[in-house]
Amino acid sequence: MSIDKQQREGAEVLLMGNEAIARGALEAGVQVAAGYPGTPSSEIIETLSRFAEPGKLYVEWSANEKVAMEVAAAASFSGLRSMCVMKQNGVNVASDFLLHLTGSGTRGGMLLVTCDDPGALSSVNEGESRHFARLMEIPLLEPADFQEAKEMMPWAFTLSEEIRNIVMVRSVTRMSHASGNVVLGALPQPGGKGEFLCDGKISDPERGPVISAPVVEKHRLQQEKIRKAAAIFETSPFNAYTGPERPELLIITSSACRLYSDEAVSLLGAEGRVGILKLGTTWPIPPAYVKKHLTTTEKVLIVEEVLPFLEEQVKILAAEQAREIGIKTFYGKNDGTLPMTGELNPDLVAAAIGRILGIAPATFPAVYNEKLRSLAGVVPQREQTFCPGCPHRATYWSIREALQRDGRNGFVCGDIGCYAMAVLFQAAGFHTAKTLHAMGSGIGLASGFGKLGSFGMDQPVLAVCGDSTFYHAAIPALINAVHQNANVIFIVLDNSGTAMTGFQSHPGLAVNAMGEAVPMVDIAAICGSMGVKVVSGDPFALRQTRETLNRLMEERGGVKVLILKQSCALSPEKKGKKQYLVRVDEHLCRGDACGCNRLCTRIFRCPGLLWDREKGKARIDEVICAGCGVCAGICPAEAIRCEEAQVP
Amino acid sequence: MKGNQRSKELAEKESTPGGQKELEDAVLKTGLCTGCGACVNLCPYQAVYRDRIVTLHHCDLTRGRCYDFCPRTPADLNTLQEACDVGDDLTPEIGAVGGFFITRAADEKIRRRAQHGGTVSTLIALALREGLIDAAVLAGEGEGLLPQAVTVSDPEIAVGQGKSRFVVSPTVAEFNRVNRTDCRRIGVVATPCQALALAKMRTQTVKDTQSGIEKLQLVVGLFCGWALSWRNLTALLEKKMDIAAITGMDIPPSRYHTLEVYTKKGTVRVSLDEVNSCVRESCRYCGDMTAEFSDLSVGSARLPEGWDTARFWNQVVVRTKRGSDLLELARSKGVLEFREVPAGNLDKLKAASVNKKRAAASHPSGPRSVVDKMGQAG
Repeated sequence: MSIDKQQREGAEVLLMGNEAIARGALEAGVQVAAGYPGTPSSEIIETLSRFAEPGKLYVEWSANEKVAMEVAAAASFSGLRSMCVMKQNGVNVASDFLLHLTGSGTRGGMLLVTCDDPGALSSVNEGESRHFARLMEIPLLEPADFQEAKEMMPWAFTLSEEIRNIVMVRSVTRMSHASGNVVLGALPQPGGKGEFLCDGKISDPERGPVISAPVVEKHRLQQEKIRKAAAIFETSPFNAYTGPERPELLIITSSACRLYSDEAVSLLGAEGRVGILKLGTTWPIPPAYVKKHLTTTEKVLIVEEVLPFLEEQVKILAAEQAREIGIKTFYGKNDGTLPMTGELNPDLVAAAIGRILGIAPATFPAVYNEKLRSLAGVVPQREQTFCPGCPHRATYWSIREALQRDGRNGFVCGDIGCYAMAVLFQAAGFHTAKTLHAMGSGIGLASGFGKLGSFGMDQPVLAVCGDSTFYHAAIPALINAVHQNANVIFIVLDNSGTAMTGFQSHPGLAVNAMGEAVPMVDIAAICGSMGVKVVSGDPFALRQTRETLNRLMEERGGVKVLILKQSCALSPEKKGKKQYLVRVDEHLCRGDACGCNRLCTRIFRCPGLLWDREKGKARIDEVICAGCGVCAGICPAEAIRCEEAQVP
Repeated sequence: MKGNQRSKELAEKESTPGGQKELEDAVLKTGLCTGCGACVNLCPYQAVYRDRIVTLHHCDLTRGRCYDFCPRTPADLNTLQEACDVGDDLTPEIGAVGGFFITRAADEKIRRRAQHGGTVSTLIALALREGLIDAAVLAGEGEGLLPQAVTVSDPEIAVGQGKSRFVVSPTVAEFNRVNRTDCRRIGVVATPCQALALAKMRTQTVKDTQSGIEKLQLVVGLFCGWALSWRNLTALLEKKMDIAAITGMDIPPSRYHTLEVYTKKGTVRVSLDEVNSCVRESCRYCGDMTAEFSDLSVGSARLPEGWDTARFWNQVVVRTKRGSDLLELARSKGVLEFREVPAGNLDKLKAASVNKKRAAASHPSGPRSVVDKMGQAG
């Protein structure tokens, strides 16, 4: 399931939604793509990077989403087709630039591709990026299947060029990460030369400087562009209606919710009573097209994720056109027919339709439920925790032991990365991490906490931050903490890659997204240049890490930086290679007796450690043990033994 | 107490759950913890940091040695006395008194390195030399004001550790560590709370894990009025002197009302009013001034000639046959000098001890009175 250069026009292949988006961009001749990794968006840039070639397609993992948008915009200003890719909260990061970009306009076709995460399956928010389209007054497109995800990309580039502004394409987890058959189109010949024409007057959109001033005039132009887009949307191939000519209930939907709606109607056997109006152009909605469909029915159900975005637009339109189309009854988020939070699914939609039309709720056949139950037993129960061999477990262990020794109720401000699990599943971080917000917010919050000493706060304040997050958004907050002399211990969890999203490169690494050798930006040198104390260590050296932390906690005033460097257990250089062969000496293992009480399997909880209930002893799961040897250091009986593994 | 009644009480105690949670609720969170270290080095859940006992992780056992051994959890004193083989000569004020002596090291070099008369150093060195013990656990010199619990096997090194420590040392934690090593016969120099913890180990009720208590061959108790909190004492003395320059401390008899701090630049006198704020909360509840659960107990002496003479002597209370044998061995080997015990000395010691028991029983009372009355015992 991936696309490659051998695949020809007309071939039908199984593609993940994100791959279909990437393929669509390639078929549109995209020349510059930049993004910051974030689930569910990461595979788009990853896929494009495999097609990268100097002079044809430049792809980069940028330091953050705002920079990614700026990098892509520069290409657009130079007449090239470009795109920036990010997850929903990445748009927040980029939004300051986006506000100004929409005022200045673009030249080469430019897309903002965002992948939202309704239900926060891999996020700590379910922020909705669609509202940015309305806020920033730019067109919004939402694909509703995999073929469309590909087809929409060239169409969006053309639209962007027609209105000379950025166009937003929004996917969701179930669209980005599910797969479907896609018929491929032709890949164009490599595109043209890049040149930034900037010798014209400020009013010249072709050759003038690219700025958002004069603001009011540019704003007016921007609104003209959006009206033009709305007119184009009236005949968009991505808006479609299926169902009876005069449906009892009209569903208006978009994106993955279209698939839920289709399934729900079919589940209820209500095809003859319910029509589905699927919109691919969701801001602004095409008024005449939607009005035409509103006239066919009395009842309208809007199915979308997450907030009532389409619902509000449709209601405004219906109010404006009420004299002609009559009074409608609306169902959706606002009246509670569908939940205002979390993901939707076919069951929820079917239940809503059932309630509106008085149809008994559809049930799955008994055989389906039986099969479901039998399969549930096969799936091993695993708690959400750090992988075997993960450096974060060792780090949090030392933090816990240091904080407990210190005894002043110190805490960790968490940040975004795998290590955020310490907050989400407190047992994974040994109950040390207590806050979790946006990228870089750990050190930002710590900077504030670290100034509360004058209010009597004596708690040690620690902040953690991964290497990629460090470059993304931690640096300004760190500078602030240093400058304000906040009493903070800043711990950089350097696992040499953007591990959580799949080892994308970042500025600390010597290779970029194109596989080229690039300069590394050294974290220790950056921190050191701020004039603060920087200590480096290996998180697997438990005692040393703990003693360092306790020493830093005793030091008064100012920022102290501790860089704990150890590659991720899943990193390409480590994966499948064990440093140690680990085993438990059953004669020494104290089991659940007073003196141990299963420290390794009850508290440390590396998935590589198993509790043998019958023997009352711990043992190692040799299949998943990563051979890091850290557990040997926590065993009070020295029962966990490590032998250097033979290098094959 | 009759035997059957005692065993009934023991059975009751065994059925009373007590694990980490109970230890935390009853001792650690209430300020009763003495910092003796009895709950440390048994398991990975408790540790010593500075002079505090901390809980590292949650243990869900309902019966644990941590609770069992803690000198501040309930215990039957008669059972403990029996387990320690103390003599029948029990006094209500200071426990068993098998003998009361004024002694000092015969070797002047030992006296010079000791806090007072060097009796403890001499006895420990003798026990090591004679093979009565092969390791001695005691409070050695640490970092700054913080002592370090150490194990010594060399008598020459043992005599260099004879200074009083005003901050607690986790001596029992060190005993818990060392009894799992190759040492066979261990002696411990213990404060009253530490001696009580060691006594409780002899009557362990948690049966599934052994603690190596059979290796304990000698407990030399130290008279103790109170110990000071490391953090508070450091904060107090930091303002008055360079902590690194401190060479020792002492508390002269109560009429001086002073803590003397000896530094490389001379002696600094700190009023006990100020020191009082540094006393560990747990010490205010403690009624054992003379380490009643030891083989013999040693403290500073009081003599008619005055403090300048008395400070180089010790008073010794013998509790057990083992203690008595060791003292007699020291006498026959000529390593200890004995002098006549002045009339009324034992009564004065008893009076001081009773004062501490009263203060402990009536606490919270004016904390100042605890320091005033007990300071002389240090």
